[in-house]
Amino acid sequence: MSKRKKSFSFALAMVTALTLVLSGCGGGSNDAKGSDSNGASKDSEKPVNLIWYTIGTPQKDVDKVMAEVSKYTQEKINATVTMKMVDWGDYQQKMQVNVASGEPMDIMFTSAGGFDYVQNARKGAFMELDDLLDKYGKGIKDTIDPAFLEGSKVDGHNYGIPANKELPQQEVWRFNKNLVDKYNLDISNVRSLDSIEPLLKTIKEKEPNVTPFAMDKNYVPYVPYDYVIQNLPMAVKLDTTDYKIVNILETPEMKQALTTMHKYYKAGYIAPEAATTGSTNDLTTSGNWFMDRAQTQPLADNLWSASYGYPVVSTPASDAIITNTSVQGSIMAISANSEHPEKAMEFLNLLNTDPVLRNMVDSGIEGEHYKKIDDKHIENLPASKNYDMPSYSLGNNMLLYLNQNDPDDKWDQFKKFNAEGKNSPILSFNFDSTKVATEMAAVQNVKEQFWSSLMTGTVDPETYLPKAIAAFKQAGLDKVMAEAQTQLDAWKAENNK
Amino acid sequence: MATFFKNLIKNKVMLFMVLPGAIWFFFFSYLPLAGTVVAFKEYRFNRDGFWASITSSKWVGWDNFKFLFSTNDAYTITRNTLLYNIAFIFLGLILSVAMAILLSELVNKKMAKIYQTGMFLPYFLSWVIVGYFAFSFLSMDRGLFNQILGWFGVEPISWYSEPKYWPFILIFVSMWKSVGYNSVVYLASIMGIDKSLYEAAMIDGASKWQRIRHITIPMLSPIITIMTLLAVGRIFYADFGLFYQVPRDSGTLYSVTNVIDTYVYRGLKTTGEIGMSAAAGLYQSVVGFVLVMVSNFIVRKIDKDSALF
Repeated sequence: MSKRKKSFSFALAMVTALTLVLSGCGGGSNDAKGSDSNGASKDSEKPVNLIWYTIGTPQKDVDKVMAEVSKYTQEKINATVTMKMVDWGDYQQKMQVNVASGEPMDIMFTSAGGFDYVQNARKGAFMELDDLLDKYGKGIKDTIDPAFLEGSKVDGHNYGIPANKELPQQEVWRFNKNLVDKYNLDISNVRSLDSIEPLLKTIKEKEPNVTPFAMDKNYVPYVPYDYVIQNLPMAVKLDTTDYKIVNILETPEMKQALTTMHKYYKAGYIAPEAATTGSTNDLTTSGNWFMDRAQTQPLADNLWSASYGYPVVSTPASDAIITNTSVQGSIMAISANSEHPEKAMEFLNLLNTDPVLRNMVDSGIEGEHYKKIDDKHIENLPASKNYDMPSYSLGNNMLLYLNQNDPDDKWDQFKKFNAEGKNSPILSFNFDSTKVATEMAAVQNVKEQFWSSLMTGTVDPETYLPKAIAAFKQAGLDKVMAEAQTQLDAWKAENNK
Repeated sequence: MATFFKNLIKNKVMLFMVLPGAIWFFFFSYLPLAGTVVAFKEYRFNRDGFWASITSSKWVGWDNFKFLFSTNDAYTITRNTLLYNIAFIFLGLILSVAMAILLSELVNKKMAKIYQTGMFLPYFLSWVIVGYFAFSFLSMDRGLFNQILGWFGVEPISWYSEPKYWPFILIFVSMWKSVGYNSVVYLASIMGIDKSLYEAAMIDGASKWQRIRHITIPMLSPIITIMTLLAVGRIFYADFGLFYQVPRDSGTLYSVTNVIDTYVYRGLKTTGEIGMSAAAGLYQSVVGFVLVMVSNFIVRKIDKDSALF
């Protein structure tokens, strides 16, 4: 046995050593590439190589496209670009390690959801951009909706450049149009959670194999509040005048919503395993769902219909509200350890103002990954599967070419949508939880314990809501809320609200 | 000093063989020990890398440890972690040894190999996959168990919201996954037992059961002791996948599925405080270290040869 074990640990050691050598090589060859392009420079000043970390499934042709991008940027701002993509699920963790270990990087993607923008700005991961923005970011300031830059300030400073895209978040009810048509249902009067009941009832009776109300464990019924921290029960009412933070579970609106949810759950409108379901992909793929709730953007129905392969229609479930989460949905920050912060800012400025660069980064090389149909519209070529990038994470969306089926005024519709959004009262207030870190960990655990089963209606709020409220209290939610209130009051005084 | 070098030269082949392992341990186990200091810091990034970040971060004393002990959950997670691990150690030991003995007694060696491989396989499955296996049995509306219950006219059980079943489910799944692997260890040492002992016992008229009781098990006891001691050292670490993936992270089950590792993960995944997770890890390893020392000390008192050191 001991021999076996030893030889195993030897093998393990060899594997580890090999990995080290290999990863070492990988790093080395990247450096080599950087210096190669440096050597090719015609300018007297050596071009700078910018390392750009972004989110998304790594694409085969990234290096190829970046070589083209580098040619262009070298001419414009004397800089070349190396892009490193980190897959969706790994992004948070890998970036935490990369930043903590001081991995060389210049630009990185950050958002409210992946590699949290506010927290990491406070921890010192990003460079403060106020001066750089004034000096090199003129174009950004002129093109991007000012609400983005204002809303992404942390403690009064900018740490990143948000992508110019849909600004407010608006909830909609989405319907599987095949079923709506089949039973001739009227969705024009739907808005509140209660108003969907007759529709659900019809579907439940007539289509026993269809899930009437599809949802996963992240579902939360809409109530007109904005959360101080996503999915923690501290919130401020949207039409507040006194800026009081309340426990969302103690509000009459939430209590009412949860009671309705439980009623729907008992009636069988909701899948019995909703509280532990990670995604509803299998339902949307098979088409065995009737309705769900989602966040919208202009022309979203077309997008959904195209990706599911059958028509989807939607109708509003809430107003369009500009919140921290919606403003911080996609941000590019400059790393605190960047060697070339000025060049990085020049690059970000170009990326957000120059349609040639922006479209190259988004769709790849013309003639290889896409072809132009007219001056606004493009068509993907087969090779585009080797360079299929998430548009939202790569800068100003309003510069992008339109897809074949997009209407000409797509971006105008976005601008209109953005202009109609209402500001949340606590837009750009970012809670700093450092002082209550111990309580936050406990509160987070209580949230995980009760949240999904309450929100999906799986449990009866009559008995579980008081239990959850008590557990949150016991974990120290009151202390966290008091701290948040103090910070909010100070913020309010500072901003003359 | 001279004798040191003499020893070095004398054992050079052996030492050379140890070298890769030793280097590995040095780099990946001893060197990072210095990073433990993070547990006492409020970690903030510094542009000059990890060490600069550590030195420039603020000392916070024992603050990072507080979250582990501050609520009622502290009792639940400690109890769950300890009791489950004790159950895993004892049941695992009994089942693995029993399985190893059964396999060694099989006459048809070809079949024995097939059984062994079959039992070995689950060990290599990831917990995510095992979680889905379990789900196909336990799903409320499409699970196998509820369908079988349906045939007997029993109301379907909502497995993922009924805590009372989960201690058994978790122990069963854990055993299913690990027994095959562990029994190989015991099987190997059974193979190493001198056959003449059995022959002598047979001549003296010992029955099969007597041979197992008086030869196999005593001969196995040193390896049993070592394996158990090693397991005791990890008694404060819970198998994250088992407690997170298999119950599908269902909140209603936390009273019986929340363990130290899942608690730390859930508490810190959004705030990402490196200092606090380091504190939790340090706490677990210190308790594990103390427990190994104590149990080794006890083993030494009873039987010096079976102790680890």
